Amino acid sequence: MKTSRLKTRIALALFAIAVLTIPLAARDGYIIQLLNIAMLNAIVVLGLNFATGWTGQINFGQAAFYGLGAYTTAIATKAGLPWISTPFLAVAVVVAASLVLGLPTLRLRTYYLAMTTIGFGEIVRLIIVHWEPVTGGTSGLRAIPGISLFGFGPQGQIQHYYVLIAVLAVAVLVAVRIRHSALGRAMIATKDSEIAAEQSGVDTTRTKLLAFIIGAIYAGLAGCLYASSIRFISPDSFSGIQAVLLMTMLIVGGMGSIAGCIIGAAALTLLPEALRFLGQWYLVLYGLGVIVVIVLAPGGLASIASTIRLRLAGAR
Amino acid sequence: MGQLVINGLALGSIYALVALGLLLIFNTVQIVNFAQGQLLMLGAFIGISSAVTHELPVAIAWIITMVAMAFVGIVFMVLVYFPLRRRPPFLVILTTIAMGIVLENLTLIIWGPLPVSMPSPVHGAPLRFSGVVISMHQIFIFVTLAVILLLQFLLLTKTRFGILMQATAQDLHTARLVGIPVNRTIAVAFALGAMLSGVAGLLVAPIFLAEPTMGGSLGLKGFVVSVIGGFGNLPGAVIGGLFLGLIETFGARYISSNFRDAYAFIVMIAVLVAWPRGLFGEKSSEKV
Repeated sequence: MKTSRLKTRIALALFAIAVLTIPLAARDGYIIQLLNIAMLNAIVVLGLNFATGWTGQINFGQAAFYGLGAYTTAIATKAGLPWISTPFLAVAVVVAASLVLGLPTLRLRTYYLAMTTIGFGEIVRLIIVHWEPVTGGTSGLRAIPGISLFGFGPQGQIQHYYVLIAVLAVAVLVAVRIRHSALGRAMIATKDSEIAAEQSGVDTTRTKLLAFIIGAIYAGLAGCLYASSIRFISPDSFSGIQAVLLMTMLIVGGMGSIAGCIIGAAALTLLPEALRFLGQWYLVLYGLGVIVVIVLAPGGLASIASTIRLRLAGAR
Repeated sequence: MGQLVINGLALGSIYALVALGLLLIFNTVQIVNFAQGQLLMLGAFIGISSAVTHELPVAIAWIITMVAMAFVGIVFMVLVYFPLRRRPPFLVILTTIAMGIVLENLTLIIWGPLPVSMPSPVHGAPLRFSGVVISMHQIFIFVTLAVILLLQFLLLTKTRFGILMQATAQDLHTARLVGIPVNRTIAVAFALGAMLSGVAGLLVAPIFLAEPTMGGSLGLKGFVVSVIGGFGNLPGAVIGGLFLGLIETFGARYISSNFRDAYAFIVMIAVLVAWPRGLFGEKSSEKV
């Protein structure tokens, strides 16, 4: 047991070194930019994992929370507010929105909830597209002021890369802590059986609402960082298609697994670029690939490693 | 005013047809097909291929589309539902969405992104009543909806197959135990569901142009209608569809046409907050 723990630690340390040295190896700004977007997506998917992976509630509104965070930040900084206020504003907006959406709807069953969250995302998108004087409509907002914290402002993609790694690490740590708290256990109980959880004294409605709000905060903060590190936003980045994409990152990576969230986000952010030569066929293969993963590897890519290890152990 | 009512009802009839297709599948396997809109789009394109590209008579194009859609429905069921029949329904929502993406992009590859039109099977001068114009195609839409509603009502309540469907929906395992050919019943339900969305596609294509991305929004409207009317509820689907068509048409005219697609969702969320199982109630309840 101890050696396996040591092995895990060594593997994690090697992984950390690899991740931290990537910018030295790949000086190509485009690749770093992609990795930055992958990390932002990973934070959003970690947030989605609270409601969907752990609590078992379908949420197609995550892209809208992502967008609300990004647009709040962009509008606030462009209006001249100091950057330090934007994470708080973004969180305030998404918490308010998740309460408005969550309070009346979290009692609903699977497809009703799926539909309501799709509807919420669509309403947010339509408001962004048609409230042109403020949101810039379909052409989006450009030249958004960058991160600036007590005089420190990361410049260029590589500095942003390290900032985002730090934020992602904190996001992972918070998720681990919540998972092993009473709230985390209540989430799993709610997913396994709402009736059994209620019988054991878990307030399932409160648990679902909290999972939903925590997830929205993750998305809101990621949106804030998206706006101030990419510095250009448009409604396309936060549409219903994006919501489905975030959901598939979670499924393909492995629902309920923190490593899975990161693997899924990285794979499905980088893959379309690597497979760009496929053109329209990429989306056909992407859809079929999602079906194959759901059917053959219900635990996602994260589970494949442990399945292989189990097989090997069984063979020994 | 009268004109808006007619236009709204015609649009609503199409939403109702999408919802009726969803209902057939839902009433058999308790699964909501999130690719119903893409099936509709595919139906429209098969019709256009036959009637416009190959210049076949429109009636023949309809028949070809129906046969093709029945086949598509069965393939769809085998790929998307069958491997997951013993797993949580949540996963089937995702595979149907993924299949919707596949269908939409295959259509883009085969037929290209440009919108195309399809002729209506009926011709003739529009009827006029004191300023209100009703086109022959609109009348054809109303008649089709009425006929399909009647057929589906008879199928579900008066035929042996309808009873098999109900038994399958209530308890798949017991249904199999008492000798019901469960898989065949499910395959037929998917085939009929796909054919119904094909009809909706053939009816939509002459009014709006058909394009590969049309499915997403029409499919969502079908769900909104199902939610408003209560999933699996036959009269609910039709009344919900007509109601939504009217709301959208009047909302676009008197409030703002920019938010045309938002009215459906606002109404749906409002209905769910007040009546969590839809206005007319759900057909079957949750199993413990």
